[in-house]
Amino acid sequence: MIELDHTFSTGKPTDYNWEAILDLDRLVPCVEGGSVLERTGPDEAKAEIAVKMGAMSLTFRGTVVIAERDDAEHRAVVRVKSRDTGGSGYANADVTFTLSDGGGSVHTAAQISGKAASMGEGVVQTVLDALITDFTQKLAAI
Amino acid sequence: MPIGTGTYVFGPDNATLTVRTKKGGAAAKAGHDLEIEVQKWEARLELGEVSSASLTADARSFKVIAATGGAAPFGAEEKAAIPQTIDEEILKGTAIEFQSSRVEADRGGHSVAIDGELEMFGERRPVSFSLNVGFDGRLSGAATVTQTRWGIEPYTALFGTLRVADDVIVEIRASTGS
Repeated sequence: MIELDHTFSTGKPTDYNWEAILDLDRLVPCVEGGSVLERTGPDEAKAEIAVKMGAMSLTFRGTVVIAERDDAEHRAVVRVKSRDTGGSGYANADVTFTLSDGGGSVHTAAQISGKAASMGEGVVQTVLDALITDFTQKLAAI
Repeated sequence: MPIGTGTYVFGPDNATLTVRTKKGGAAAKAGHDLEIEVQKWEARLELGEVSSASLTADARSFKVIAATGGAAPFGAEEKAAIPQTIDEEILKGTAIEFQSSRVEADRGGHSVAIDGELEMFGERRPVSFSLNVGFDGRLSGAATVTQTRWGIEPYTALFGTLRVADDVIVEIRASTGS
């Protein structure tokens, strides 16, 4: 399990941030290479992410679900469960958003197996950190 | 065996033109250093009263010969995908041409100093290198090509944490046929 913490700034009020984070059609494309394939409910979607490994790409496809939400505390857990479409690996994560005026924090707990994990935990952590840093920068414009 | 005056023509039949890339970035451990051979190219070296050197290479004829380092094995699929990536995302089929402005063999004929301009990705930039002449008459030389000088953005992957180093080494090894 890899756990990472990041913060982000939007310069917008909490209510705006809360609404934006809970809208998967807006949230998922903030992940580089990420896209919603199908909305399967108000709080869930089928989605995929393409990760450029080198000359080759890995595509993970699965579900994104708002598994927990606390409207009073503006805290939500987005649960990602995905499989490598070209192999037997998987990438799962619980991403916890805690929002406040002007931005918020993101706690990520991820589990990755298969070809992506074969790069070694240190590399996976570095790559995941870069992915989430980019994600939080895009959240600034959500 | 020193090199004498005359015209020398080189290509894949009597020489190799190799590109060596190094990996860089925070996730460099995940990447591979590559040895890439150019399959279609021709070079001409004239040594005499007026000396000159020129080279043309087909940017779509790159082939990965070896990959070293890397956390995961380097598969045949990746080997095949790299030339396609070079073509589609890096060089985009643009002409590769070198034309000398100065060619000077040393007195003993054991080395040839070459200055000139390399055109790549639609840009011309100066390049200097030396060809060394071995006892067996074989020529070898290497030039450092810094990609950004030609306006080429070094290739990145894994969200920018893995990148090809800006400096690429181009090597030529040839037989003078004597």
